[in-house]
Amino acid sequence: MNGAQGERGSNRGLLLVIGSVVVSLILVGAYLAAGGSSYTPEKVQDPCKPRPWSNPQSLGEIANQFTVSALDGAACKLGVSREALARALATPEGRERFKQKYDITDAKLAKAVRAGLVRAVDDAEEAGALSPLIAGPLRETVQRIPLKQAIEFINDAESFLGNANGLLGTAQGLLEEFLP
Amino acid sequence: MLVSFNLVMALAAVPAALLARRVGPGRAAAVGLAVFAGAGLACGLADSLTTLIVARCIQALGGALAVTAALELLPATVGSEQRAATVWAAAGATGAALGPALGGLLTELVSWQSIFLLQVPVALIAAVPILAVAKHEAATGIVSTELRRTGRPHLWANLALAMVSAAIAAALFLLVLLLIEGWRLSPIEAALVVTVMPLAALLGGRLAELVAAARPRAAAGAILVSGGLAGLAFLPKATIVLTIPPQVLVGIGLALVLSALTETALGGRAPQAIHGGWTISARHAGVVIGLLVLTPIFTHEIEQQRHDAINAGTAVILDSPVNPLLKLSLAEKVSQRLGEEKGKVPTIGPAFEPLPEDPGERSEVQQLQGELQDQLDRGATHAFSTSFILAALLGLIALFPIALSKEVEL
Repeated sequence: MNGAQGERGSNRGLLLVIGSVVVSLILVGAYLAAGGSSYTPEKVQDPCKPRPWSNPQSLGEIANQFTVSALDGAACKLGVSREALARALATPEGRERFKQKYDITDAKLAKAVRAGLVRAVDDAEEAGALSPLIAGPLRETVQRIPLKQAIEFINDAESFLGNANGLLGTAQGLLEEFLP
Repeated sequence: MLVSFNLVMALAAVPAALLARRVGPGRAAAVGLAVFAGAGLACGLADSLTTLIVARCIQALGGALAVTAALELLPATVGSEQRAATVWAAAGATGAALGPALGGLLTELVSWQSIFLLQVPVALIAAVPILAVAKHEAATGIVSTELRRTGRPHLWANLALAMVSAAIAAALFLLVLLLIEGWRLSPIEAALVVTVMPLAALLGGRLAELVAAARPRAAAGAILVSGGLAGLAFLPKATIVLTIPPQVLVGIGLALVLSALTETALGGRAPQAIHGGWTISARHAGVVIGLLVLTPIFTHEIEQQRHDAINAGTAVILDSPVNPLLKLSLAEKVSQRLGEEKGKVPTIGPAFEPLPEDPGERSEVQQLQGELQDQLDRGATHAFSTSFILAALLGLIALFPIALSKEVEL
């Protein structure tokens, strides 16, 4: 191999190495710029921290936030995540698995779910979504209902709140009729 | 099971090369191919995991004998020891790139057993021309008794080979796993996706011909392999197209680095079979170490990701505007589906069926489904990131022994 050939070979080698570095950096840089390292799994929030209500308009929207508040309240009381509790309350089997996993009795669960409903009523009242006239009796009611019914209230908050509003409507109608 | 073949190859390559020198490369290659074919048949017909593992180990013994003996036979066919080393090294690099794609295709189109059964006729056909050499050796008793000193193996080149092989094994293995387990592709689809690497390796082979010096080729190859692996670690989206550029880099890189390091390890050393045995040993040891180190890491990451995905999925559902009755049932069904598919990221669709009849609600649910699936796919992709980064680091660390390796002309 003569000197000129050797030099050309050496230059090609150097070019190949520099080219490889440049191409690799471009690729990694482009992927990072496109968000390649931005993924972080959705974090589970602390259920004990207040979750602000948005401005609910319809009964459906109120029920939605009511459910989330109730789950937060109950999960906070039990010291578990809102997500774990939500999965547990969907079916009786899920509830049993949850109770076993966290070593929770029916009584403890009932107490927590009732506490959650009370927090939901408080949050709804504070957000102006529930009249104080109905919030008071509702708070009293949910503290006395059995576990099964309390869970139904969380699962089907729309019917629950709809009925409560209906009762309020009836009561208001009666008041308007009998009072001057 | 995963590393049994590579482990036996790593341990048996040098003794197999010594045996090939003693009995003659023709006879050794013929026996090696026969053992490889017989054990391949046993793998294809295996009715238990134990039989499969034992047969695979025997196949590695036959393979080690055939591959190292082939290096002794090649100079007579290709003209010189240097050319033989280049051809042998290039064949090794092509095999490494082609294996997973071909294996995936055969698994899906026929069966996993077909991978082994196909090896039987291929090995037997390869043995036909070698039989003539073996007969000649037996008739004449001529066995190469070259007196050149064996010499010590090329430490730095073999060390670099081991590191780079660990990185490449991780690239192939992890990418296939990501495609099948993470992104739910079928094995044939995954095989088609990873054919980018062998195609790019062909291009790398052409590029290697333009640069004579082995050290810059090895360094460039290691950098490209690491760059490709880093690209796979930082995929911005769970999309097949985005895996292509990193695969091209890994493919070109592996063709450059494997052949250059093998040539360096063989350069100026004799007998070729024994030093070839050392390179085989280094490469397979690298594969074993790479898989043993990275498998527990990504297994843990996938499990963690599954746990995060269940919580993230439930959080996304709970915060959605879907009505409470439906959202709690969805949260339960989605977590159940994620729980069923251990170590795999499922298609979330079935958990959302039947879709609500109300058009507004249906659209909300469909949007939620898309959002959730995107979360899961990105989570699955992210689960492989640490392993890809570690593999990329291995490739970069290999630059040190590459820098220390000295090239010797044959």
